[in-house]
Amino acid sequence: MKITDKLKNRMGIMQRISLSGLFTVLVIAVVLVTSVVSLLTFVKLYRKDMEENAITSSEQAVVQVKNTVANYTEDMSDIMQMICENIQKDEEEANEFFGNLLKIRPDVVAVTSYDLNGKLQRCWSGGQKLKEKYLKNLSYVKDLTDESDGMLNITKPHVESLFVDYYPWVVTISRKMKDASGNEIQVAVDISFYNIASYVDEVGIGQHGYCYIADDNGSIVYHPQQQLIYAELKEEKHDVMEDGSYIKSNVIYTVKSLENCDWHIVGVCYVDEMITSKVERVVSSLVVILVIVLFGTCFMGSVFSRWFSKPITQLVTAMSEFEGDNGEFVYQPVHGTQEIDALSDSFEHMVIRNQKLMEKVRQEEISLRKTELKALQAQINPHFLYNTLDAIAWLCEEERNEDAVKMVNALARLFRISISRGHELIPIEKELQHAQSYLQIQNFRYKNQFMYSFDVDETCLSYLCNKITLQPIIENAIYHGMDRMVDEGMIKIGIHQDPNRIIFTVEDNGVGMTEEQCREVLKKEPGDRAGIGIKNVNDRIKIYFGDEYGLTIQSELDVGTCVTITMPKVTERSYEEKQ
Amino acid sequence: MKKNNKQQNIILWIVLAVCIVILSASSVLWNPSAGEKESENSADQKHKVALITKSTVSAFWKTVYSGASNASTAYNMELIFEGPDNEEDYQAQNDMIRKVVEEGVDVIIFSAVDYRANAEAINQAAGQGVKIIIIDSDVNSDQVSCRIGTDNYEAGCMAGEAALEDERETIRVGIVNFDKNSDNGQKREEGFRDTVLVDDRVSIVDTINVISTTEDAQAGTEEMLKKHPEINVIVTFNEWTSLGVGNAVQKLGLADETRVIAFDSNVRSVGMLETGEVDTLIVQNPYAMGYLGVETAYKLLNGYTLANDTIFTDTMAVDRNNMYDEECQRRLFAFEKSNKN
Repeated sequence: MKITDKLKNRMGIMQRISLSGLFTVLVIAVVLVTSVVSLLTFVKLYRKDMEENAITSSEQAVVQVKNTVANYTEDMSDIMQMICENIQKDEEEANEFFGNLLKIRPDVVAVTSYDLNGKLQRCWSGGQKLKEKYLKNLSYVKDLTDESDGMLNITKPHVESLFVDYYPWVVTISRKMKDASGNEIQVAVDISFYNIASYVDEVGIGQHGYCYIADDNGSIVYHPQQQLIYAELKEEKHDVMEDGSYIKSNVIYTVKSLENCDWHIVGVCYVDEMITSKVERVVSSLVVILVIVLFGTCFMGSVFSRWFSKPITQLVTAMSEFEGDNGEFVYQPVHGTQEIDALSDSFEHMVIRNQKLMEKVRQEEISLRKTELKALQAQINPHFLYNTLDAIAWLCEEERNEDAVKMVNALARLFRISISRGHELIPIEKELQHAQSYLQIQNFRYKNQFMYSFDVDETCLSYLCNKITLQPIIENAIYHGMDRMVDEGMIKIGIHQDPNRIIFTVEDNGVGMTEEQCREVLKKEPGDRAGIGIKNVNDRIKIYFGDEYGLTIQSELDVGTCVTITMPKVTERSYEEKQ
Repeated sequence: MKKNNKQQNIILWIVLAVCIVILSASSVLWNPSAGEKESENSADQKHKVALITKSTVSAFWKTVYSGASNASTAYNMELIFEGPDNEEDYQAQNDMIRKVVEEGVDVIIFSAVDYRANAEAINQAAGQGVKIIIIDSDVNSDQVSCRIGTDNYEAGCMAGEAALEDERETIRVGIVNFDKNSDNGQKREEGFRDTVLVDDRVSIVDTINVISTTEDAQAGTEEMLKKHPEINVIVTFNEWTSLGVGNAVQKLGLADETRVIAFDSNVRSVGMLETGEVDTLIVQNPYAMGYLGVETAYKLLNGYTLANDTIFTDTMAVDRNNMYDEECQRRLFAFEKSNKN
């Protein structure tokens, strides 16, 4: 019960971490880790790349705006030149020119001229009524610098403050010049954002990016969301007005400067929308792909792992079945990978060998029973008994009572020892008595045709040996060795020991045997008459003590035969312990 | 063995489920703004926002509309702009509320003519799931998600301070206010009174409530000035009444004697500021109101939590000395890209 419980426990653990589950988890983990790492690396690289792209596209847009605005300012410069030329003409001609100019150029709000003190001299506007008294003239620039370096003088944006109920936002371009009479005057052109707006508003960078115009100080000249800035809901934080691109916390500012005035085009684009949204799109599609791959991996993983683990599960089943019933078990080979095949083959071999061994053990047990039975039968070999009894009867008739008593005693001892209460192993002393009794009887029957002698190491006597070991050999020696001999036969029986073994020897000087005969003696089953054979003795010794012990025959024709029997030193105690 | 297989299956499915959850979670994390973008991009799910104001013709409300319109473009929402013909017509406003609710607007940005009389219509609209944002002038309702506008009491105080700048020994004040039921006018008046009455020189001679039109305000002011010629400071609280008062002062030739503190910027009131009929303009930030109104609507519809349920837009006191300062220019004069009006 305990063993099966343990087995069940082990099986439980096996169930909890089954091979295929482990495999699938492993594969998924590897895929997941690899994909996340590669995703992150990819995003990093992609983001960097996109950042560069964003800067490039931003720069392109800004350059485009810069060029159009530059054209516009050039245009304004030209108009300024024309104004300067025409303002010197007489009243009528000048009025006509300015009337036309204001009509053609809706972005020009007003043209004004001032004397050295800033007093308004002349004013042309698109029909707006000049204020009788103005509080402040925002179009006049005091201390105007000379336009020597080709730079336009452009003011900050301001409202036109000269007209009644008309306050458009303008910038003023001013220039100093000399009028017809050589007096220095100042000309101012007020320009609305009409055109500039159309250049700047339409340019988008990315989804929400835009351009605006700022002056040297970074204050805004024109912004697509000018009103939002004026309402103080929005401000532009960038104030570095040198050409280049600047990345400030998710916003890329790109600055390009105009050559002929202090305006700078600033492009604003949002890293988030330019880059992050793209990265997000790519990443989300990648994630989708990954999910699909992962699904696939899960599926394939489970399929493959089942494929791998199936033969192993089969092996496990086969082994536990074999464990339960190894006799009837028929092994069906499991096929799988090379390793599995090898495992399966080995197991098959093991099963077959195991079954063979088991079979052998069983056969040996059976033959042991048989030989034991034979030995028992041999104890009452009837011919031997009849002959002996005949001999005793004859002795009695001859009134050789003494001899008869000896014979009867010998016979009695012979049988007593033969039976030995059914024990197979008996002390060597008893075996020796058994052999002596037998020799005594036979010697009498054969009328002292042979002699026998014992050479016994007394210390061996207490060890155990198989019963009826010596008798069959002596019998063989008498029947086959001496029967047909002319000379007096001699049988020498020795019991000795070496450090590990007991050695019995039975030596005769009979006719001897050929080598072939020797081998036959050890093989053949004795006939009914022959009683217990030499083979039986050998078999029993080998079954009891193993193959290294047993019986050997040395024989020479016409010289004699020597049979040696080896046995381990078995004491009574060690034998009982074994039992 | 069958049991084993079943268990394996369960483990497999659990692993799969975990993977899917992890991946979907990570994809959501990768795309934190996905939801936002969808609503921004899909044209068929364009949210409708109605802007119902007190008027559609005054410069103030035009600027509010301009801000709202800009924001609705930025946030991709459809904007409906409605307002009654005269600034007392709360009934027309209520009708408009019902109408836009029927049209299926998601948010109403509302400026109430009447603090009480508009309440029911607003509550009904809110009951139908429409979010309410109040700008400029409040309504008596607890269904309002957000209030955006001038801190009217503070603006009144600002007007009061402008009045106290007068250095004369006695300051006799005449107040020309509009509809008594309009919340913002009352708050401004309250702030004004609380500020000026601290000074011993000040006495409030008369308070009139006129219909919010230039003509009515002018007539009322003329009458008041005739009745109380001693009045040397007049304060008034919205764009139309400002013009009316300015006209009256101009007509009576009292530009120099009378200090006029008026509200809101308008080309004509700016002109009067320059010519002297008006001495101080309390300028609000209508563009911000409109813009923030729509922006707040967007936030409400997209599930952002609002930081505050009241947003105050700033006010500025502009007089002759600072009117052409850069900041004041920006506030007084609306920026228009084209010079063609």
